[in-house]
Amino acid sequence: MKALILVGGFGTRLRPLTLSVPKPLVDFGNKPMILHQIEALKAIGVTEVVLAINYQPEVMMNFLKDFEAKLGIKITCSQETEPLGTAGPLALARDKLIDDSGEPFFVLNSDVISEYPLKDMIEFHKSHGGEASIMVTKVDEPSKYGVVIMEESTGKVERFVEKPKIFVGNKINAGIYLLNPSVLDRIELRPTSIEKEVFPKIAAEKKLYAMVLSGFWMDIGQPKDYITGLRLYLDSLRKQSSPLLASGTNIIGNVLVDETAKIGEGCLIGPDVAIGPGCVVESGVRLSRCTVMRGVRIKKHACVSGSIIGWHSTVGQWARAENMTILGEDVHVGDEVYSNGGVVLPHKEIKSSILKPEIVM
Amino acid sequence: MGGSEERVVAVIMVGGPTKGTRFRPLSLNTPKPLFPLAGQPMVNHPISACKRIPNLAQIYLIGFYEEREFALFVSSISNELRVPVRYLKEDKPHGSAGGLYNFRDQIMEESPSHIFLLNCDVCCSFPLAEMLEAHISYRGMGTILVIEVSPESANQFGELVADPVTNELLHYTEKPETFVSDRINCGVYIFTPDIFTAIQGVSSQRKDRATLRRVSSFEALQPANRSLPSDFVRLDQDILSPLAGKKQFYVYETTDYWEQIKTPGMSLKCSGLYLAQFRRTSPDLLASGDGTKNAAISGNVYIHPSAKVHPTAKIGPNASISANARIGAGVRLVHCIILDDVEIKENAVVIHAIVGWKSSIGRWSRVQASGDHNTKLGVTILGESVTVEDEVVVINSIVLPNKTMNVSVQEEIIL
Repeated sequence: MKALILVGGFGTRLRPLTLSVPKPLVDFGNKPMILHQIEALKAIGVTEVVLAINYQPEVMMNFLKDFEAKLGIKITCSQETEPLGTAGPLALARDKLIDDSGEPFFVLNSDVISEYPLKDMIEFHKSHGGEASIMVTKVDEPSKYGVVIMEESTGKVERFVEKPKIFVGNKINAGIYLLNPSVLDRIELRPTSIEKEVFPKIAAEKKLYAMVLSGFWMDIGQPKDYITGLRLYLDSLRKQSSPLLASGTNIIGNVLVDETAKIGEGCLIGPDVAIGPGCVVESGVRLSRCTVMRGVRIKKHACVSGSIIGWHSTVGQWARAENMTILGEDVHVGDEVYSNGGVVLPHKEIKSSILKPEIVM
Repeated sequence: MGGSEERVVAVIMVGGPTKGTRFRPLSLNTPKPLFPLAGQPMVNHPISACKRIPNLAQIYLIGFYEEREFALFVSSISNELRVPVRYLKEDKPHGSAGGLYNFRDQIMEESPSHIFLLNCDVCCSFPLAEMLEAHISYRGMGTILVIEVSPESANQFGELVADPVTNELLHYTEKPETFVSDRINCGVYIFTPDIFTAIQGVSSQRKDRATLRRVSSFEALQPANRSLPSDFVRLDQDILSPLAGKKQFYVYETTDYWEQIKTPGMSLKCSGLYLAQFRRTSPDLLASGDGTKNAAISGNVYIHPSAKVHPTAKIGPNASISANARIGAGVRLVHCIILDDVEIKENAVVIHAIVGWKSSIGRWSRVQASGDHNTKLGVTILGESVTVEDEVVVINSIVLPNKTMNVSVQEEIIL
């Protein structure tokens, strides 16, 4: 079975992290974002994943070679020379997605983190016999997204409403699709939107069905949602009683600690924290609701909350980073410095406090 | 002037990627030394000035960038100016003097009698031939280019005191807290080869002191005593300061313009200074037009030959348009740098801004700023491949590469 992951472009909403690596390789829960999706696809028997990208293919391909071998799944890139939107890339990758088996293929959006009930989706797709299935998820603020209006009992999709001004429904497109090969005949090789052009046509022919996603869902394409998403992800690990979660007298709630990370005495870690490979958390440190990426050193008595600390950065002794502080790669916050929402580009030193949210270039 | 054995070598320090963060977002995709001022890469200006030095044998660029980033530039500039230019990559920071010392073998290859040291991010008239003449008459180890500035701004630089008759350097302090002098170090020097001996002296002295001295644990905590590696030698603190007043160094004063190009805002100001210089020395490099066959030109304007400018546009003063840019009908450009492959559509207005490579400015849109080169948002900067949609206004803002502006903004940094 095949799958396509829409990786797209520059990931500007996740800057400064995406100034150092392409977005799919930004770590989430101690592994590259895209690995969460590739592993979920591998688990249900997908043998080949095509990445639709238009930015930094060499960086992606180098990374992927390692994972192809480790995971035993074939990974290829389909490179757009101009941005093709959300449907165009499928046309571009047509030959890779269709084989003689006539099986449907998955399409995932790379910004999405969720439970990935892909096996259930295959069952659902078989049972309704339609041409395309999409996963929808219930959200609190539907007008930020594209709302899907569907028949509750069968899941048959009636129509899409993009960013509705009044309440029309609370199920939105979760960015996970299972499509019959015939859908590719509907897509031309030009910039095309799957939500605005392709799905409405299939819905009009009553061949599009929506399944409600149980479990968590988050679009982690921007820092605020990344931090919320981590909480949801760690929560789902807890529900599965995952052995990956840390425990101990200095751990509160759900915490992920890479086995190569070191944590000192007298720390209090959690809830909702991920500490990456090679990190050193010195003694007396308080971490909550944050991600600490590979190679970071948090020095003694420091405090980090609601923030993302990028690869190989350091947070100084008695320093405090909170309220959506995002440190890019190789950023060094001096001893005793306070950052309230500082967003710092890579390779900087912060020697004086940032009192209100500010971008430091 | 020197005889036929007098050979001169010039060394230009170009810096490196992680050090140049103040030049972001323009330095995110291009090394700062290659950023164009008045239509030519920043480093071209000191290199062209070096051509006026009599008996110039070689020019070296020293920096932390990867060799491949300079390979193309170095070979093309060597051909164009008919002077050998080489790029040398530093493996680790050695300080401003240590860097020179690190490459002394290459620099001394042709046994030069004099060595110029220039900083790439200095904007000035580079009176190098006059400096050489003065240096030879002083017979010291080195001569420093200095300029008078306002007393209030002097403490951002190295302040020097010199003897008004002999021009000997009597005193040098780097960024002092109290006022010492309104003459400052321009970052352009000429040395004789004994500078290398002086630098080596500092290195070995530091090595000896490190082994001899036992430092108490309290002393060791004080920042001033944090020991520098022995091969890290700073020109200002380690050479000029201690050797001031010992008849080793002299000064040569310039009364022309001088600025440091540390931020994108300053690069716009310096582009203007160089355009004014072209008006004096090579006016045929500048554009002209009165709005009939060609666009109306006001003041000093540079337009690359491959750029297309609609005759109903009005350009200048102080505008620089790079290769393949397309300027549409009725566009107004004032105090700006338009980089390669930019498209500016009809009736748009750009004032006090830098528009990055491949960007697109929509019809009737407005990109402007206050023009205060010293404040962070005083010049609007659009990074590479930024799109400003029709009728959108972007004021006093910085936009990082690959963004599309579809709503108007003021005083913002768009990541």
